[in-house]
Amino acid sequence: MKISKSIYFFFLPGVLLYAIFFIYPTISALFYSFTDWDGLSSSFQFVGIDNYERAFTGDTIFRKTIGNNLKFMLVVVVFQTLVALAFALIVLKNTKTTIFLRALYFFPTILSSVSVAFIWSFIYDPSLGILNQTLELVGLDFLRQNWLGNANIAIYSLAITQIWFHAGQMLIIFVAGLQAIPEDLYEVAKIEGATKWQTFRKVTWPLLAPSATIVVAYTTIQSFKAFDLVFAMTGGGPNNSTQIVATYIFDIAFRSYQFGYASSISVIFMVIIAIITFLQFKALRSDRISY
Amino acid sequence: MKKYSFLSSGVIAFSLLLSGCAGESTSDTSNEGGEDSTQISFIHWRGEDKAVLDDIIAQFEEENPNISVEMTIYPSEQYQATGQRLLQDGSTGDVFTSFPGAQFEAIASAGIFEDLSGEDFVSNFDEQLISVGEKDGAQLALPYQLVFNMPVYNKGMFEELGLEVPKSWTEFQEMADTLLENDITPIAFPGADIGPNQFMNSMMMNNAPDEDVFEKLQNGEESLTNEWWVKTLEDFQLLEQKGYIQADALGTSQDSAMAMVANEEAAMLATGSYHMSALLDLNPDLQLDLMAPITVEESEAVYEGINTATFMLAVNSKSDKKEQAKEFVAFLSQPEIASQYANETGQHLTVNDVEYESEVLKNTAYWIDERKTRFQPRFLITNAQIEAAVLSSIENVLGGADPMTAAEEAQQLVEENRE
Repeated sequence: MKISKSIYFFFLPGVLLYAIFFIYPTISALFYSFTDWDGLSSSFQFVGIDNYERAFTGDTIFRKTIGNNLKFMLVVVVFQTLVALAFALIVLKNTKTTIFLRALYFFPTILSSVSVAFIWSFIYDPSLGILNQTLELVGLDFLRQNWLGNANIAIYSLAITQIWFHAGQMLIIFVAGLQAIPEDLYEVAKIEGATKWQTFRKVTWPLLAPSATIVVAYTTIQSFKAFDLVFAMTGGGPNNSTQIVATYIFDIAFRSYQFGYASSISVIFMVIIAIITFLQFKALRSDRISY
Repeated sequence: MKKYSFLSSGVIAFSLLLSGCAGESTSDTSNEGGEDSTQISFIHWRGEDKAVLDDIIAQFEEENPNISVEMTIYPSEQYQATGQRLLQDGSTGDVFTSFPGAQFEAIASAGIFEDLSGEDFVSNFDEQLISVGEKDGAQLALPYQLVFNMPVYNKGMFEELGLEVPKSWTEFQEMADTLLENDITPIAFPGADIGPNQFMNSMMMNNAPDEDVFEKLQNGEESLTNEWWVKTLEDFQLLEQKGYIQADALGTSQDSAMAMVANEEAAMLATGSYHMSALLDLNPDLQLDLMAPITVEESEAVYEGINTATFMLAVNSKSDKKEQAKEFVAFLSQPEIASQYANETGQHLTVNDVEYESEVLKNTAYWIDERKTRFQPRFLITNAQIEAAVLSSIENVLGGADPMTAAEEAQQLVEENRE
């Protein structure tokens, strides 16, 4: 069958949008990363690799933000994936109850991040928040915390919010993946006398690996880019303990008026995400299997 | 036929692209100008002033039928991220606003401020209070609002307990102890959102009476490890250790801290005069005034409080409607218009001859002329990264760090970011 050349025009909207909203900003960021542009002036100087040198050797906060981001990412990726998978296994069968539960778990995903930040800031409030009040009510006073005000735990408190916010989205991917696994494989496993764990390890997980790859990669990228939640809940504080790369880029670009330097951090950030995602793909691909 | 289908495919593809872009809307609040009128754009971040500014704009348009004003209000953070970048080509923000400090410096460096020196309406403002809008002898912006960034206190509660406004650090601690004995938290500190941004000013004003101290810090002549800042951090530590600020202060939001003061669980709110009307909304029976902690002995005290002239009105130098823009700024600077703005927003202004009608504004107006206040030191830090380092050191101490260690860590950040 001969394909008409006119079909290529249908690519045009997508290509144009991709070029305008991804390729152009990426090239711009790369360009400005070699300048001292302040974001407002019409002129700037080329500074070579000075911005990159500063990021790697002369910026304590940037190094701290990388550490914070890794902590945040690890907690979110591990627990969000586990929570989503566990819930997906619970609500796998199509009954009225499970369909309702799926909708319920998915509900936080449709909220705006500002609303989520507002709700959880209230939950975490040390004196008025329901979390500390509930702990007190059930006699667990010793677990009361200054959830967002304690620099040692604030980043984990944010991670919990992030998990609550996005686990429902990942649950849907897992449910779709699980439902695609042929039922007869489970029957064979049952006939062979496999335990539940063996069935999960040898049948479910390998066949779920493509979905898991998507979930882990997407969660990683999402946790690196969790700007809105962090910005609205802590603004990076206290004492930069929740400052992540995305919020730091905002600070440098729009509060310090160092667009050139902010661009160089963005480029480094992009490379870091690309490397981590690539490694995850490689690692999870090795778990894949087909029957 | 082939050519026709090729063309029609292109049209469909383009339509798809356009339909993807559909649905965008602007958020302007303007009245549509007449055919011969010139429309100017006014951008700022104060959503809470929309109603009064809409009314003022209507009056301006009535008085100047050949000029219409399109007001666009951005949330504060969006204003920083987007709004001020729109100023660059002059098509937006013929009249715009700026904060003092880092933002003012950046916009000035970019040459976006029109020099307003010599304009008649400049004389409508209090000369001393608008000096923060000057650079190299040119009046680049006109601060409109006058804020006192120091704790708001419950005057009625003080009178009931027989307390007087402390004039020294020793008296301040005695006052705080009395409040604690009466189960009242002396200071409600909203550490989660506002942080030490406001409170640091009054806490350091007498520890470092030199108004150039942050300029010196930025150019390397001063250090945060010197006595003036370490003493400030030690004073913060004392507030935290003695329970003069509430427990878990760094996790307390502005709303919670305000609720503490409104419910009379706390005596002071560590923010500023801009919260007085909101506190009165929560509890109209409160009698409020302002009080800065004097952190030195009475004889050494130089300043009694902090002021900030902010919401700086400016005309865009890139605009081709500068004259009309200046007309609008001139209108805003008329005492009767400024009085309307002041009374409806609950703010003191830098404009001369403003008549304050609300009780709280009248009762605190004495701070403008009768008290020795100092311009907010934080806004004299023109490098935002250095400002962040200074503020972080306070959070670090409130989180349990030793003041000298916190000062050293912050000083390292200052050195990394010094230009």
